[in-house]
Amino acid sequence: MRPVARRATPTSGRLGPRPGEVIDRARPLRFTFDGRPYLAYEGDTIVSALLAAGESVFSRSFKYHRPRGVLSATFFDPNCTVQVGEEPNVRGAHRRVRNGDVVSAQNVWPSLRYDVKAANQAVGRFLSAGFYYKTFIKPEPLWPAYQQVLKRFAAGGVVGADDPHGYYDHRYAHVDVVVAGGGPAGIAAALGAAEAGAAVLLVEEEPHLGGHLRYGGPEALRLLGELRQELADAKGIEVLTDSVATGRYDGNWIAVHQRSVPGATERLVKVRAGALVVAAGLIERPYVFAGNDLPGVMLSTAAARLVNLYAVRPGTRAVVLSANAEGDAVAALLAAAGVEVAATLDARRAETVVAARGHGHLSSVETSQGRVVEADLLVTATGWTAPTSLLNMAGVRPTYDEAAARFVVGAEPSPGVFATGGLVGDASPEGLVAHGRAVGARAAAAAGCGKGAVLPELSPGPHPALFRSTTHGFVDYSEDVSSKDVFQAAAEGYDSPELAKRYTTATMGPSQGKLELVNFLGVLAEATGRSIGELGTTTWRPPYAPVSLGALAGRPHEPVRYSPIQPYHEAMGAKPLVAAQWIRPDHYGDPDAEVRRVREAVGLIDVTPLGKLLLVGKDTPALLNQLYVNKWSALRVGAVRYGVMCAEDGVVFDDGVCGRLGEDRYLMSTTSSGAGAVWEWVERWLQTAGRHLDVYVTPLTTAYASINVAGPASRTLLSRLVEGVDLAPEAFPYMAVREGSVAGVERCVLWRIGFTGELSYELHVPAGYGLFVWESLLDAGSDLGVGPFGIEAQRIMRLEKGHLIVGQDTDGLTQALGAGLDWLVKLDKADFVGKPELVWQANREDYDRLVALVPTDERTVPPEASQLLGIDGDIVGRITSSRHSPTLRHPICLARLAHHLATPGTVVRIHLPDGRDVPARVAETLAAYDSEGVKLRA
Amino acid sequence: MPEATTQAATTAPGDARPRLPGGAPLARSPIRQPPPTAVVGHWEVSRRHTNAALRLADLSALAKVVLRAAPESEAAGALGVPFGAARRVNVVATRPAPQLVVGSGPDEWTVLGPVDTQAEIDAALLALPGEHPRSVVDLTHGRALVRLTGAAAPAVLATICAIDLRERSTPNGKALRSLVAGVATDLVRDDVEGTCSYLLHVERSSGQYLYDTLMEAGATAGIDAAGLPEKEI
Repeated sequence: MRPVARRATPTSGRLGPRPGEVIDRARPLRFTFDGRPYLAYEGDTIVSALLAAGESVFSRSFKYHRPRGVLSATFFDPNCTVQVGEEPNVRGAHRRVRNGDVVSAQNVWPSLRYDVKAANQAVGRFLSAGFYYKTFIKPEPLWPAYQQVLKRFAAGGVVGADDPHGYYDHRYAHVDVVVAGGGPAGIAAALGAAEAGAAVLLVEEEPHLGGHLRYGGPEALRLLGELRQELADAKGIEVLTDSVATGRYDGNWIAVHQRSVPGATERLVKVRAGALVVAAGLIERPYVFAGNDLPGVMLSTAAARLVNLYAVRPGTRAVVLSANAEGDAVAALLAAAGVEVAATLDARRAETVVAARGHGHLSSVETSQGRVVEADLLVTATGWTAPTSLLNMAGVRPTYDEAAARFVVGAEPSPGVFATGGLVGDASPEGLVAHGRAVGARAAAAAGCGKGAVLPELSPGPHPALFRSTTHGFVDYSEDVSSKDVFQAAAEGYDSPELAKRYTTATMGPSQGKLELVNFLGVLAEATGRSIGELGTTTWRPPYAPVSLGALAGRPHEPVRYSPIQPYHEAMGAKPLVAAQWIRPDHYGDPDAEVRRVREAVGLIDVTPLGKLLLVGKDTPALLNQLYVNKWSALRVGAVRYGVMCAEDGVVFDDGVCGRLGEDRYLMSTTSSGAGAVWEWVERWLQTAGRHLDVYVTPLTTAYASINVAGPASRTLLSRLVEGVDLAPEAFPYMAVREGSVAGVERCVLWRIGFTGELSYELHVPAGYGLFVWESLLDAGSDLGVGPFGIEAQRIMRLEKGHLIVGQDTDGLTQALGAGLDWLVKLDKADFVGKPELVWQANREDYDRLVALVPTDERTVPPEASQLLGIDGDIVGRITSSRHSPTLRHPICLARLAHHLATPGTVVRIHLPDGRDVPARVAETLAAYDSEGVKLRA
Repeated sequence: MPEATTQAATTAPGDARPRLPGGAPLARSPIRQPPPTAVVGHWEVSRRHTNAALRLADLSALAKVVLRAAPESEAAGALGVPFGAARRVNVVATRPAPQLVVGSGPDEWTVLGPVDTQAEIDAALLALPGEHPRSVVDLTHGRALVRLTGAAAPAVLATICAIDLRERSTPNGKALRSLVAGVATDLVRDDVEGTCSYLLHVERSSGQYLYDTLMEAGATAGIDAAGLPEKEI
């Protein structure tokens, strides 16, 4: 494999100062490329600096690993993608050099100069369109091996798993008019809209406004200066440079990707606009001929940018192929910049390039006149592509203008969507400004500002239709798709743009067809004997330009919720548990010890996340009767009742208790994770079927800090701090609610309920006092052995007691009778949510039951979700909850089990993940601890 | 009617818990209080002073009472604050300054008053004219309330809230409910002496998250933490 020769040019290609240059010669920068040091000036792109230093190869191509140099010198240049430090896929022709940058070529081995993968060129004729589909389809067992090999050839840079990510931001914006494109027409549109009183967001992809005026002649620079001054004086225009409108969605919801922004790596701006003006300009399209990808072959606009913006001489001896005035101007520009223009080919007179030749860099050009001209620079100016992407996303269908050889749109192609500039037609810069200004005014009017303006005429001028010479060359540089591939695809029947695109992958690379689409269509038209107008085009979809994953993700907003008692949990080193956004204490070091504390003395658990809804109104019992499966009409003031809610399909939705605080005041509790859903459920009923009910619901979940005091000594502890409530068992029995003060804090709610099976009280304390009361309880009960217990200890104890957890011991198909709630469901009620389904369930026997299982091997705690097997090995259920019981000293489980095996005493097998089967016996009751409920009623 | 007063909290020997003189319980905001702190009424609050152009103050100690009533009810008419608006109204007639009444929902009003006045507001709302059903609930402890003040406040909010905060859409006195950084938030434009200011009102447990998120979002704009302003007390 021969190395790529370095260009035979002077080591410095930097020109003297240019009137419109964007580099700051007073601010030199240093960077490296593939380990070699280079100098740049502030404002240089990576590629302009390297070109100035005499480098001309910046990448290897995707499939054949051919050396590639500058083509368009823009963000979409397919040949200038590099790795910068830990950041892959950086557009080297767009990214400005930063001092100290470490730049390297991507996907080359061992180096850019000596790339072994270039051997692919030797087998190029086998790598034609559809190669992957044809070659790697069989044998199927080798797919994993194919994958490993193909991954090594995949393009792209490298992201280290531990690389630090930048700070990515999001922002919302609401404006009257978004102008996408900051060339002369776009600037004028922004000015026209602002003059009408509109708030305008002007978005420009380049770091500076001006479009092609920036690299034009003195007159262009003068006009640009005037526009910039007018812009600086205008009110109501926000300018985002180095930013691109990547998508337009319904209602002019527009995504703008800011590639550089103070204080962040990148930012995604989500804009709602009254009107959108697309002023994306025109993109110069390459010409297809043999060797058209050689370094040294570039577009005329690339040459103009390099000379006028970066003061870089792109070559020493040039051939210029021109079909338009812009190309002619570049020929003159090059000559003036000291480049020897060896030949100028006028495509309007059928002069063209047949082939470009050279090894690793252009060395000669073969013309249609039979000449071979030695040159290290070939500049082509053969036509334009209209980047109509944003308009297509708005439902606009641009039409192909045969005479202009490009797609065009009208100035007002859709309500609220406008176009100006080269997308609409050709004119002098002043003509584009006049059109843009009028379009801006009309867009403002569409957004409710001003009265609009009369549109001047703007239409495309004639241009030769030039796509391919007499030889084959690359149509898509990103994907290494040649015109020969397109011909082959058409011959194989892929003769529509959508099919041929997918078969060849043309236009599917990083530049997404910006440079390639029209050539692709032109070659396909040639191959199929049809016109581009007859073929139609492919579909432009968001994003218009690649968006980094970081920008899409933005700053993660993951709300977390804290209890008022959180400072204590943190101070005690509790292991945090995230549950439904809440940060909860899982345990304080030893869950088993926490269980023993509650069983033998008294413990405190922070249950603040429990949902709490205050229901006020005389019709509350009617609402409760409708939402719960049991009866509520007879609930006395001061009493509490357990309830279960089902959805319309009878599936268990949530459970909790509800207490009657006063004549028309009820406090409902829900599960922690169900708090929000139950609130919405209640509101939904009140706003639909229950509109006639006199009930208001207010969520109080975080208005109270909730503390469960559990254990045989809990009454003794509370007696030291509670005032206004008689704690005697007969005065405050199980399933009762009282209001009083705790530790001097008034307006507390006390329930005599619990989840652990012990005598317990649930205190709801005004949240601001939560930590105060918690610490007061710990102080007051120090002689009783009081201490905290966490979620894990509670889960163990509730499992010992056989209490189900909705969502863990039930699933999305579990109807109430299958959750062991037969005793609760009152089918004799007139109606309640889910009743018809539960009536039907009651008449069946075939539903799974919730049972308690006791594994016979006391050393094995089956993992939750373990399958249960019947005698014949069939799956008959699964474990839903499983723990080792420190109280009973053996494993205990809840399980969902097929009805015919749910009889107490039945033995089933638990299939463990390690392949063993462990026998387990169906217990008599769900509760393994205090099944009679003596302790909790004490 | 007693005014909330500022006083120092005391700490008993061997007890880190600050208490009011006499051992009365002390209420805490869900948001960590930037020092220095003091006790206002029954609450521990920050009294930090800042001259920053953009500042965030925790107002969670303020009284917050929610009225639910039919929009066509006499009580609603007496308040005179429509859904989506916030106005200062003399709900508690004996108070020297009016309270801020926020039309939070079609049948919901949130009344914000000085520290420790929730009982007075509660009573005043129950005493509003009319026989229509209503619900009056003290949510002083149930909500976190912060105030973001400064000309840059809309730009900071625009990084975490999708609402159109332009003058024409969200002028002074506008109230709305939306997501702010993923949290359901009552947002009230309530300018302070001509400076753009927003009240953000979330359920209590999300208070610290919202506060931290706003401080982070405002970092590049020079945001600084402020204590409970004297005029809010």
